[in-house]
Formats: sequence, C-alpha cells, structure tokens
Amino acid sequence: MSERKKQPRDQRPRSRLHKGPGESPQESLREEIPGAGDSVGSGDSEASAGIGDAGASVGIGDTGGTGGTAGTGATVDSGKDDAPLVELSKVSKHYGNIKALEGVSLEVRAGEISCVLGDNGAGKSTLIKIISGLHQHDAGTFHIEGEPARLDSPRAALDRGIATVYQDLAVVPLMPVWRNFFLGSEPTKGRGLLRRLDTALMRDTTRAELLRMGIDLRDVDQPIGTLSGGERQCVAIARAVYFGAKVLVLDEPTAALGVKQSGVVLKYVAAARDAGLGVVLITHNPHHAYLVGDRFVLLKRGAMAGSHAKSEITLDELTRQMAGGSDLEELSHELARTPTPDLSSGRATS
Amino acid sequence: MSGSPLHGAHPPAALPDLDERLLHRSVLRRLMSRPELGAVVGAVAVFVFFCVVADSFLQLSSLSTVLYASSTIGIMAVPVALLMIGGEFDLSTGVAVTTSALVSSMFSYQMTANVWVGVGVSLLTSLAIGFFNGIVLVRTGLPSFIITLATFLMLTGMNLGFTKLISGAVSTKTIGDMEGFASAREVFASQYTIGDVNLKVTIVWWLGLVAVATWILLRTRAGNWIFAAGGNAHAARAVGVPVARTKIALYMGTGFGAWVLGQHLLFSFDSVQSGEGVGNELLYIIAAVIGGCLMTGGYGSAIGAAVGALIFGMTNKGIVYAQWDADWFKFFLGAMLLLATLLNAWVRKRAEASK
Amino acid sequence: MARVRTGVRAVSAVLAAVVGATLAGCSSTGGKRAEERAAKSAQGRAAVDTPRWTIAMVTHSGDGDTFWDIVRNGAEQAALKDNIKFLYAHSDEGQQQSEQVQTYIDQKVDGLIVTLAKPDAMKAVVAKARKAGIPVITVNSGSAESKAYGALSHIGQDETIAGEAVGDELNKRGKKKALCVLHEQGNVGHEQRCDGTRKTFKGELKNLYVEGTNMPDVLSAIEAKLQSDDDIDTVVTLGAPFADTAVKAKAQAGSDAEIDTFDLNEKVAEGLADGDLGFAVDQQPYLQGYQAVDLLWLYKYNADVLGGGQPVLTGPQIVTKDEADELAEYAKRGTR
Repeated sequence: MSERKKQPRDQRPRSRLHKGPGESPQESLREEIPGAGDSVGSGDSEASAGIGDAGASVGIGDTGGTGGTAGTGATVDSGKDDAPLVELSKVSKHYGNIKALEGVSLEVRAGEISCVLGDNGAGKSTLIKIISGLHQHDAGTFHIEGEPARLDSPRAALDRGIATVYQDLAVVPLMPVWRNFFLGSEPTKGRGLLRRLDTALMRDTTRAELLRMGIDLRDVDQPIGTLSGGERQCVAIARAVYFGAKVLVLDEPTAALGVKQSGVVLKYVAAARDAGLGVVLITHNPHHAYLVGDRFVLLKRGAMAGSHAKSEITLDELTRQMAGGSDLEELSHELARTPTPDLSSGRATS
Repeated sequence: MSGSPLHGAHPPAALPDLDERLLHRSVLRRLMSRPELGAVVGAVAVFVFFCVVADSFLQLSSLSTVLYASSTIGIMAVPVALLMIGGEFDLSTGVAVTTSALVSSMFSYQMTANVWVGVGVSLLTSLAIGFFNGIVLVRTGLPSFIITLATFLMLTGMNLGFTKLISGAVSTKTIGDMEGFASAREVFASQYTIGDVNLKVTIVWWLGLVAVATWILLRTRAGNWIFAAGGNAHAARAVGVPVARTKIALYMGTGFGAWVLGQHLLFSFDSVQSGEGVGNELLYIIAAVIGGCLMTGGYGSAIGAAVGALIFGMTNKGIVYAQWDADWFKFFLGAMLLLATLLNAWVRKRAEASK
Repeated sequence: MARVRTGVRAVSAVLAAVVGATLAGCSSTGGKRAEERAAKSAQGRAAVDTPRWTIAMVTHSGDGDTFWDIVRNGAEQAALKDNIKFLYAHSDEGQQQSEQVQTYIDQKVDGLIVTLAKPDAMKAVVAKARKAGIPVITVNSGSAESKAYGALSHIGQDETIAGEAVGDELNKRGKKKALCVLHEQGNVGHEQRCDGTRKTFKGELKNLYVEGTNMPDVLSAIEAKLQSDDDIDTVVTLGAPFADTAVKAKAQAGSDAEIDTFDLNEKVAEGLADGDLGFAVDQQPYLQGYQAVDLLWLYKYNADVLGGGQPVLTGPQIVTKDEADELAEYAKRGTR
C-alpha cells in the first residue's frame, strides 16, 4: 500500500519544526538531535540534522520572517529547482453555465507561502478543489513539478505530494489523536488475517511528531476533539508533513480561531515552509496572509484581481484591494481597527 | 512492516519520563474511557436486580435461557453496532433475518437440493441485500433511514409475496427430512448440555462475532476507517479513506448477521413464518445504543453492543421470571431499559470527569 | 429549583381541575359505574383445597388483543376456583413465544397452556416441557399438531371447520362474492379460516391482507376494495374488532355488502342486534381459557384427560340477531 509513498518520503528530508516560542534555540536543538539520530536511513538522518540546524538558526522567534528560504536550497531535492512545485496558469472552471473560476494563475515554490485571498464566493474553494484533486479544471494548464497534471481524486493529489488541510474537516473529533494522525495511511504488521495495525508504532510516532511541532500531549489516546482548534490544525499539518507532502494546501486555517490560536497556527505554517514545503494559504484575512506570505493572489468573483510578490505590495494596499477597492476603503479601515502587521490584530477583518 | 514510511520513528530518547507517567495511568484510565463501561455497570445492576426479585432467575437453566435470548439479539446487534459506528442505520435487519431463513428453506425445498446449497444461496442473498442498501446509500446520498425503511417494506412484502407464490402458504414447508439438514442444524441450531444446562450454539456465534468485530474495530485499518466514516466522513474522504466501500461493507456485515440468525431460526424450527421479524430491527439498534454506540456515529464498541443485548435479554426474560403481570411487560421493559441507559450515561460521565 | 417548584404547582393545578371537572360532570349512563354494576369477570374464591399449583399460559397474542383478554378471563376464573396461581405471557413472534415457554419450564411450573399458531416454533419447547414432566394443554390453534407434540389435549375450534361453517352460512344467505379480511399476515389459522370458507362457499372468495395493528389502514383498505369492486356482497372479517371497522368502511364506500365476522365482542353483539352485521362465528374463547386451566387441575388432581385423543371443540357457533341480546350482556363483562 504505502510503497508509493515511501519514495517521496525518502527523497525529502524529514522536517524539523520548532518548539514553542518560550523555549530557547538550545533546548530546541537538544530535543531534535536525538530524534534525528534515531532515524534509520543514514542519508536521511544526515540531511534531517542539517535542516534541523538551518531551521533552528533562523526560525525561532522570527515566525514572520522570510528567512525560511535559507533552507530551501537544501530541501528541494530532485534537481528541478527552477520548476515550481505547483503551477496553475489561466485555469478556468465552470459548473454548468456558472463561471466559478476564470483565468487564474498561481505559482507555489518550495519554501514559499503563496496566499490566495478573496471574499466568500470569490472562487477560493474551487481553486483548492482543483489543486487537491476533488475537481478538474476546464481550461488552462496545471503543472506539478514541471509536468502537466490532472488529478482525479484526493488520493491522486496525495500521491503527488499535495496534501490539503481543510478548515473544519481536517479531523475526526471522536477518534484518538493517534488514529487521526494515521487515518487513511495506517501502518500494519503481520500477514493475511493477522494483518493488524501497528498501534505501538502509531502512538509513539504521533507523540514524537507532535512534540517536534511543539505540541506536548499528555496522552495521544485522547479524542482529538478535546484539543483546541489551533492544536487540531497543527495535528493536521504535522500529519501532512510527516506523510511527505511537498505542497501543503491550507483552507482558511485561522478562520475559526481566536487571535492567540491563529498565531500558533501561523507559526506552524511558517515552520512547514521553513522545512521546505510549498504552502498554499487560503484566507480572507490579509493581515494573516501578509504576516507569512511570500506572494499573494487576489480573487474576485472567480477571476484574478491581482498577483503580487511581498516586496511589491504593502499590507495597506493588500487590505484595500482585498476589501473591494476605493468603494469599500472606508469600511475596510473601519473594520481593520489596528492595521499593523501584528498578530494581536489578526482577526480585524474576518 | 509492508514498506510503511515509518522506519526509525521511535520516540526520542528524551521521552521516558512521559511514558512512565502514561503507563501508570493507562490501565485504569483505559478501562474508564471504554465506551462499554456504562453498559457493563448497567448489566451488573440489572442482573443483581433480577436475582433479588425473581427466585428462579439465578439458576443455571434460567441463565442459559437468558443467554440464548441475548444471543439471538446480540448476533445482529454486533454488526448493527459496527454500522452505527460507521454513521448509518439499518431498519431492514429484522425482516432481513426472516428473508434469509425463507430463501434458504424455499430454495432447498423447491430445488430438492442439499440444504447446504440453500444455506449458501441464502448467504449470497443476505449479502446482496446489504450490498443493495450500501450501494443505494453511497450513490444517492439519501439518508440511510429512508433507504433502509424502503428496503424494510419491500422485504416485508417480498417475504410474504414470494412465500405464498412459491409455497402456497404463509409459512414454508418443513425441510427437516432433507439431506444436509442434520449437519446444518449442528452448525446453526445445536445445543450442548453441560450438567443440566443447555447452551445453544448461537451463544458461540454471538461471542465469535463480538471477537471478530472487536478485532476489526480496534486492530485493523478497516476499523479505523469505520470510526472515521461515522465520525467525519468528509475528513475521512479527504485523507483517502474509501468511505463508500467501508459503508457498503458494513451493510454487508449486517447482511451476514441476518444470515446467521436466519439460518438459526430455520434450523431450530424446520420451517419459517413469512410475516415475522418486523420490529426486531429496533431491538438491535437499542442494544447497540445501550452498549454505548452514539446515534450520530463515530463512537461505540462491539463488546458494548453485546452487553446491551445481554441487558435486553436479562430484562426481557427477567420480567417473566419475576412473574410480573404480562399486561405491564412492555412498560417494565421500557423502564428497565431507560434506567440501564441512564445509569450507563451517568457512569460514562463520571468516567470522563475523572480523567 | 424554582422552576421545578413552578412545574409542580402547574401539575397540581391541572390535577385539581381534572378532579373538579370529573366530580361536576357525572354521567348517569355507561362508564365505569355501569360496568361495576354488571357482574365482574373473575371473582369468587377457591372451591377446592388442593395445593396451590402454578399454571402458566403462553399465547401468540399481540399486545392489547380483546380476544385473548377473554381467554385470559376464563383462565383466571378457573384458576380462582381451583386454587391455582395463574401466570400469563404472550408474543406474536414464534421465537419469542417459545422462549417464554422456556422461562416457565425453568420456573418449574406445574402445568402449561400454549397455543400452536406457529407450531414449528413451539415443537421443541413443548417436547422439553414434556421431558421436564410438565403437562401441556394446547388451546385455540394447533389442533392438528397437538397430539403429535405430546399435549394432553387440545381445546379450541378447528379453523377449517369454522371456515366451512361460514361458507355454508353464506350459501344459505345466497351470497355470490365475498371478501376475506386477514388482519395478521402469516397466521396459519387465519389462512385456514379463509380456505375453509372457500371450500364450501359456492361464490367467489377473495383474500384481503390488512395491517391489523393499524385500524385506519384496515378501514381504508376495506373501503378501497369495496369501492373498486361493486360486486362484493359480503365482507368476512377474522376478528371481532375488525367487524366494526368493516361496517364503517362499508358506509364510507357506499356499498351494501353484508358484514360477517369470526369471533365475538360487545360491539359485535350490538352490531348483530342493530342489524349492521349478518352473523358472527363464535369459538367461545372464555371456554378455551377456563377449560384449559380446569382440565390441568383435573389432570393433576385426578389424572383426568378430556377429548379421547381428539380436539375438544369450542366452536364454531353461528350467532345471529336472535341470540345477540343475550350475548351482549356477557360480552360487556368480558366473558363472551
């Protein structure tokens, strides 16, 4: 079953994400090194350790920074550094005679966060569905690592290394954390009728992987529904990272969360980026997007309303465009009570 | 390891303290957090209650009667519980049992075949009914309540219609003198006498099904998928769980249960009444719910469902042993079930609070 | 807490209102008091000094069936007279019924009365009772199997004979096309009644299956059938409560068919007197219960057996307008 998945897993060094902000880089490093040393594949562990170092030196306490790109060169593995992980150009999608998406282009590169911004009904979810394999595009091109692609199921997307984390659909609330973590890709041992879940491995791995994300669970047997919304998102992200995702598609990861939790989630989004993943962050909150994004695509009624690199645009401008131009500028300012790139104001426009 | 991507994923060495802490807590805590805990407490309470109020309840022959009654509900309650954990209902199980018995009996009789041929045809039919329920469910997306209600009505009609058409009467002709009957009775309806206690073979089927279902639920990938399909089908689908296939398989599981019970009825009584089984589907669901299954899916256990069936069997027969007025039978039954379920809920709440 | 107390107060207020209204609005006719004036069903005291034996009866009755209530009344009257502890259980599922018999065997009762509506389901458990030394008497249904299963005797009506009697009566009344309303799918006795009628009836007889536990369904089914076929001149219902429903259906359908029925109750007796019903075929359920208990007592006391290996028949007895008045009184107190 998992033969297929082994390959991307082996190619890509294991991510090393960081401890919570309260911990010093030294602690964080000490935690990580034994973990890395435990890895069996020798080449793998070497690479992991390297990334762990690189990540640790840059990421701590600097979640909003762009330093993550420093690690990118080391993480992108297959020699296609120049081709984006995912590239959509002029993609359109129609449902009957309803135009859901028209000529939208998007580029996702390893170690970068591409934000897709837009109001409700702007076509964000259609875009996600195309990338994650739930729907197929009608026109335009869709390339994965330089090759034309057409994904016909979520499974196909997963096999190409594209993992999607949905806002409220990410987990099964009543199931224990460890079962959720491995859902759909459960490791087994034994043969024939005795083929069974390797529960010890599943529990231990879950605990270890979450600890690496900075989530210290007393008990991975507790139902995941008992975790906070932010923690749940983080488990879903950790799961995607663990299963060798190259591209992480996050659908409104902060929409239902409080300010503090949003900060936690954004931190792990940045951490995933630092680990070398390409991230697509879908949101209608320009403040969150601007905090972590490297490039921004604005959608309006299914069409592109703008595409900018971070260096080309200010938060104010992004917010203004997002809010519908000059008509809504006043309203936008009214809603954005503290329009500064600061986490504490993260929910201003949502 | 089947090539899993998990090599080398041992817990980091920095964790032993944590593990130690977990180990101490886990035995008691695991017990406390099991979904069947409340049902077990309820079962003990019902047992003690009837031991006190009914003189003849606590004798071996009575207990074997109770166990037998429980097993005839439990055989179905277990697959129904699995289905409910998977987030679906099946209202056709009661009459599907009768259908299974009728098909087996009439096929053997009309074809003058070895009864084992009928048993096989019946298995295929029962699985096909389950498959039908499942495939209509996943294809149409209609609520399982409606789909299986339709199946229930169609089966009720077909049971009577076909039986009258083929046998010319409302019950089937006896197949007791046919080849293979003795061996089939051995498998489905025999009884073992230990001392002066008769243990029916259905008890073995029941316990066997509980064991298999528990294994599937807790130790296989399919079990993980069942919980996920019932707990959050969208999330499950998004991570690649074959939700549709899982649900179809669950319906076929109830088909299998209906087959076992149907064959039992056939081989204990030689012939089958075509109009029976109506209403029993609710008993199976009740047993599963008493046993800790959530009506909304995603939570529950096979052991719990078996204990639920035991509570039901004890209450059902205990009232007769207690010699209470038959007019009040249903009232007592309902009241006992309500009490058992309340106790169940209370215990579970306490268990959760003590975590 | 405050809310609870408010609730209690509200409930008491409602109760007070109900009691008040009841006291103020006495009815001078009918009701409970009229019933109390009539003779009560099971009363008296033991006329014998034999030990207090326990006798259990298990029938295939559904819940709340008037027919079986009469059987039970008869059995209780006999139990009272014979100093017997009488236990009763019932289920319309063969499997359940056999389990109930088993529980009474476990309780080591001194005698068993069972119905064999679903004979195959009862065979094994009756054999078990016999093996445990418990005398068994079958009542109502199962005249064909009773002896083979080892019962002492069978008390009831041969359903086929009863059906034949109906067919003869219909011929006498010059009927051409009749409807047989079966209210319990899968009941062998019901099939036999219709088949027996068909055997002797010179006209055409059609079967109509209805959901006996759902009266509105019975009503609409009969009505629809009468509307769709004008030629039907007789409706035969297989249970007393359905006769009244058939009368209503006939009125609604504007048909002039005659309604006849198996079994008797107060309503049927009135219907006969009023002329709404043509005739009823009674099988004297009271006698079935009474005789069964009494016979078991006789067997325990004196090893008496009745019937000489043949079923003891309690019917069919054709009841028409002439006997109706007399029967109405007995039906009212629940013994006919």
